[in-house]
Amino acid sequence: MRTHIPSPSDTASQLDVAGDLLALLRDTTTEPRPDTQLEALTLAVAADLPVLLWGEPGIGKTAALTQLATALDLPLTTVIASVHEPSDFSGLPIVGDDPAEQGVPMAPPDWAVRLVRAGRGLLFLDELSTAPPAVQAALLRLVLERRIGALRLPPGVRIVAAANPRSSAADGWELSPPLANRFVHLQWTHDTDVVVRGLGGVWPRATLPRLDPERLPEAVDFARRAVCGLLAARPGLAHRLPSGETRRGGPWPSPRSWEMTLHLVAFATAAGSSRDVLSLLVRGTVGDGPGLELLASLDRMDLPDPETLLADPAAAVLPQRGDLRQAALDGVVAAVRNRPERHRWDAAWALLVKALETGPPDVVVVPATTLASLRRDDWDVPASIERLAGVVSLSRRADRTTAAAKAGR
Amino acid sequence: MTRNSPVPGHGEDGPTTTTAPGAAPGALDRDKLFTARLHAARVRPYLATALFALHVVESRRVPTMGVDRYWRCYVSPAFVERTPVEELAGVWVHEVSHLLRDHHARSDRVARERGLNGPGERLRMNIAADFEINDDVYGDGLARPEGVVEPGDLGLSEGELMEEYLRQFTLGPRSQDLAWLDCGSGADGLDREWELGPDGAHGLSEQERDAVRFRVAQGITGRPGSAPQGWRRWAEEAFHPPQPWRELLGAAVRSAASGPGAGEDYTYGRPARRSTALPSTVLPSLRRRPPRVSVIIDTSGSVSDAELGSALLEVAAIARAVGGRRDLVTVVPCDASAGFARRLCRAEGIALTGGGGTDLRAGFTRALRSRPSPDVIVALTDGQTPWPGARPPCRTVVGLFPRRHQGPAHDENNPDYVPDSPPTWARVVDIGP
Repeated sequence: MRTHIPSPSDTASQLDVAGDLLALLRDTTTEPRPDTQLEALTLAVAADLPVLLWGEPGIGKTAALTQLATALDLPLTTVIASVHEPSDFSGLPIVGDDPAEQGVPMAPPDWAVRLVRAGRGLLFLDELSTAPPAVQAALLRLVLERRIGALRLPPGVRIVAAANPRSSAADGWELSPPLANRFVHLQWTHDTDVVVRGLGGVWPRATLPRLDPERLPEAVDFARRAVCGLLAARPGLAHRLPSGETRRGGPWPSPRSWEMTLHLVAFATAAGSSRDVLSLLVRGTVGDGPGLELLASLDRMDLPDPETLLADPAAAVLPQRGDLRQAALDGVVAAVRNRPERHRWDAAWALLVKALETGPPDVVVVPATTLASLRRDDWDVPASIERLAGVVSLSRRADRTTAAAKAGR
Repeated sequence: MTRNSPVPGHGEDGPTTTTAPGAAPGALDRDKLFTARLHAARVRPYLATALFALHVVESRRVPTMGVDRYWRCYVSPAFVERTPVEELAGVWVHEVSHLLRDHHARSDRVARERGLNGPGERLRMNIAADFEINDDVYGDGLARPEGVVEPGDLGLSEGELMEEYLRQFTLGPRSQDLAWLDCGSGADGLDREWELGPDGAHGLSEQERDAVRFRVAQGITGRPGSAPQGWRRWAEEAFHPPQPWRELLGAAVRSAASGPGAGEDYTYGRPARRSTALPSTVLPSLRRRPPRVSVIIDTSGSVSDAELGSALLEVAAIARAVGGRRDLVTVVPCDASAGFARRLCRAEGIALTGGGGTDLRAGFTRALRSRPSPDVIVALTDGQTPWPGARPPCRTVVGLFPRRHQGPAHDENNPDYVPDSPPTWARVVDIGP
């Protein structure tokens, strides 16, 4: 075998070649791709709410933060919590000449000084879960009071933290309920398709939400109506401490987290975000149950107003989805019941006929039965009811089926 | 939808039924199909929201009826033609059950966890999902469709979950005649070629699907009594699935063991190693003190040996993992009186004596009296015991074995007896099967 002793120039050229190879590997492109969780993160950060990303190690939380910083045009400062000591966050006590007279100042670390000097930036506190409890305690003061030693972070600094889920966290990091209540909890997961395409050279480029200045008043109004409407109807949802081990350390409803929800609904509305994004945010703030109730009541707010429908049945647009359509028709019938007048009754029939022509017939049965029972003696049956004959036979057939099924048992 | 829609008076602007591309214009008996849905909604009012949220797609390539994960329901006109209305109603409920019970996502999860791939495995998932639904969905006004599979067909017991059934059968001669069965990707997570996919029309988004499931669950829990036991259990767990108790117990013990005063933390009691480099600065140092864990075990007659064995093994493993040496874990068997505390290292197989009534207070007293005192107490019990009146001076984790009959009357001699629930100062983990 021939041994080859590389000359110094040879080594240099080898490194150059390695550099070329690395450059080729780094040469990737991006493609636009909707990314719900990144959009949710952007909105929460824009709304200046502390966000906690829960996710297994190595699934691209840091990459997402880098993208977010670029999108918001903020310098990114990453602090790995687990390699720091508590005094790095609460300030290092520096003993001066005369502590009794001058006190002991708590000196902040250099990155904090730089952040304060810049006045703006994105502070990413990574690996919260692997830091010892005293470090976590010091960090929480930083997150909640925005203080590092003697320094106070300026309002232009936004904070995002990341933690591993409890099942994979060796030290059992978890939040006490008061702390959990101050965060927007986002579960960070990876999409295999994105990873495969990214390693193949094409990473996704999320189109981030932009707030529409024209929609701001409307967004605030909508958010207030949504949250206040729900809490007025369900006062029990306003404050509910989490019970049980499974829900510990997660989001739960309180006046504070509802206020955060109100902000998030307004931001999502002003940005024109989808319900999926809003769902992540709301459920991450007040928890699954109350969050889903809010989303369900938003669905109801989306239903057409019964009075508008009754005013002009010909122009009415009914929801496509069967369950929502039935809810809208039920609303119409209830409106007629509240103020029974001849022309409203006729208009409701016209709406039912329209529903029958544009959707499944079974949805119309219950509203039609109820509407028929509202008839006054001097009201003639409208001609359009002829077209509902099919519904009546459908209903009768279902009645017979029910009777047969009961008899067969 | 096709132009030659079979239903007269059915406007172009509002597609109620979508016809899959390529399907010949056929005679889908819409009235029959929707009569069946109306009947299903009448006999199962708590499922009405979900039934009406389904969007019907006419398709000649689906063998019977199938659903995809976007809540579209594919219907074969020939199947509607030959099936009586009563049975069609049963099929409606069957298909919507797949979606409500999230079978596609659960199938994907099982496929990932157990490495089950390929159409054969997906067919098994479809069958197992059908077993989960079919054993309690019919009757009470809802006819059982012909050809429906039940766990009994393969000699399996009823009332189990899809994941459990999956372990219990393989595709073989006995399940040969189940092979035609196909409920679509909504049942087993495998996309079919006749399905419209995520970008097709009239699909429900993830949030909308959750909202529908939530409203159904809310309707069931809001009016207990009208829905059968199986659906009530589903409703309770739909958005709070039972958690893996091993991980929860581990997290609770770890968290208790690494809290202030135990485990690894900073202390100003000794100077830090960095101090010499920073003469004017006072720094804490990192010190490690492994936690002492005391395990109180309820050895009364109501707790089975198998339950105790599994839970005890877990605690020992967890205590080792948090850095506690094996000799720092002690075990206190306890029924109405407490036995002696034993070090885990000395007793490989601890004799768990006892068997009568339970009073865990004795166990707490015994555990706290040992010197040095424990940092963490883990109590494993079925909860049929009085609890200490005051909070012990260390962290407490209670592992609770489930008891099926949660009704108020446990004790025949004293029907009013209700065991205390574990106190609020303890972290309670339900140890499931």
